[in-house]
Amino acid sequence: MDWVVTVMLALGLVFFTGAAVGILRFPDFYSRLHPAGKMDTLGSFLMLAALALQELSHFTLDNVLVAVKIMLIVVFYFIASPTATHAIVDAGLRAGQGAWHKPPGERP
Amino acid sequence: MKLISLALVVLLGGLFMAATADFPDWGDPASPASVHVSPRYIEKTMEETSVPNIVTAVLADYRGYDTMFETAVVFTAGVACFLLLRRRDPRPGPERIYRHQATGVIVEMRHKPAKEPAGEVFARIDDDWVPHDLIIMNVCRLLIPFIQLFGLYVIAHGHHSPGGGFQGGVILGASIILLALSWDLRTAMGRLSEAATGLMSAVGVFIYAGVGAMCLAMGSNFLDYEALGPLMFVDPVHARSLGIFFVELGVGLAVMATMVLIYKNLASEGRLDQGL
Repeated sequence: MDWVVTVMLALGLVFFTGAAVGILRFPDFYSRLHPAGKMDTLGSFLMLAALALQELSHFTLDNVLVAVKIMLIVVFYFIASPTATHAIVDAGLRAGQGAWHKPPGERP
Repeated sequence: MKLISLALVVLLGGLFMAATADFPDWGDPASPASVHVSPRYIEKTMEETSVPNIVTAVLADYRGYDTMFETAVVFTAGVACFLLLRRRDPRPGPERIYRHQATGVIVEMRHKPAKEPAGEVFARIDDDWVPHDLIIMNVCRLLIPFIQLFGLYVIAHGHHSPGGGFQGGVILGASIILLALSWDLRTAMGRLSEAATGLMSAVGVFIYAGVGAMCLAMGSNFLDYEALGPLMFVDPVHARSLGIFFVELGVGLAVMATMVLIYKNLASEGRLDQGL
């Protein structure tokens, strides 16, 4: 069990690191929201699920309750986070923020 | 003038820095606060109030008088925002704007119609910023009941875990503000009207002060919840716990209503007719 928890935590960290790098490195508003929206969601899912598993490794009623609460956080995060990203993109479009294009003549 | 203010700032800042040097170290067990008051609370809270969360007990019971006026400050802030921002003069521009739901055609009306058109054919919209996004609207509609349930849980569970009236009230108020953000101000006003917010923020403070006055009427000190025991048919220790719960309800009500009141006035330039 400990191994599963450790691997999930590490994977979550990898996703969070990817999200941070993506936010810094991507060229414009919309593409920056891409790592922020997707990788944060997956990273927090992995980390919170790992915490819930860790709670379940000592199987008592209290621990199960805590694990269920953690998984509830995951459920609401999964609903709210993509919606928030969607709302930000929507607001950007309405406010007239243009999308980034590769400058002409630049090598891919 | 600037030189004088600079000199004053430097002088007072220097005094402040010099004074902080005399403070006890952070977490110093020999500091005055840790010697007299804190051990008393830590040792006696459970047997005197049966509330496991000492912070809640100190906030709403031992220092309940303080917290009552904090609630009054919240109420006063709401009233001040209302008095400063609320206005009655009509907005310039068209009186009403509608979107024809099936085609997306926008209709402007110079005068207020005698009868509001049916909502499923023509929907009223704002004149400047009209978010109309199915995903956001429906996800928020789905989430708001859970947010409000969590707000009630935070208010009621303040005895056992971090939380209480202020925090829970803010969560409840935020849920109404989320409704106003994701739909529009009129929808939120339909759920919680201006009169309701004003009344609720006053009633919240009234509940708090009323619980205190009730203790006075039962022949005890102001906000000494022990006196309420005979009214609620519980022993004095549980009466303290229940008294804390009642004042937390009042705080929650006042904070929620005041937040919504301030938001409505800020979002609509005080006209409360449209806005996010």
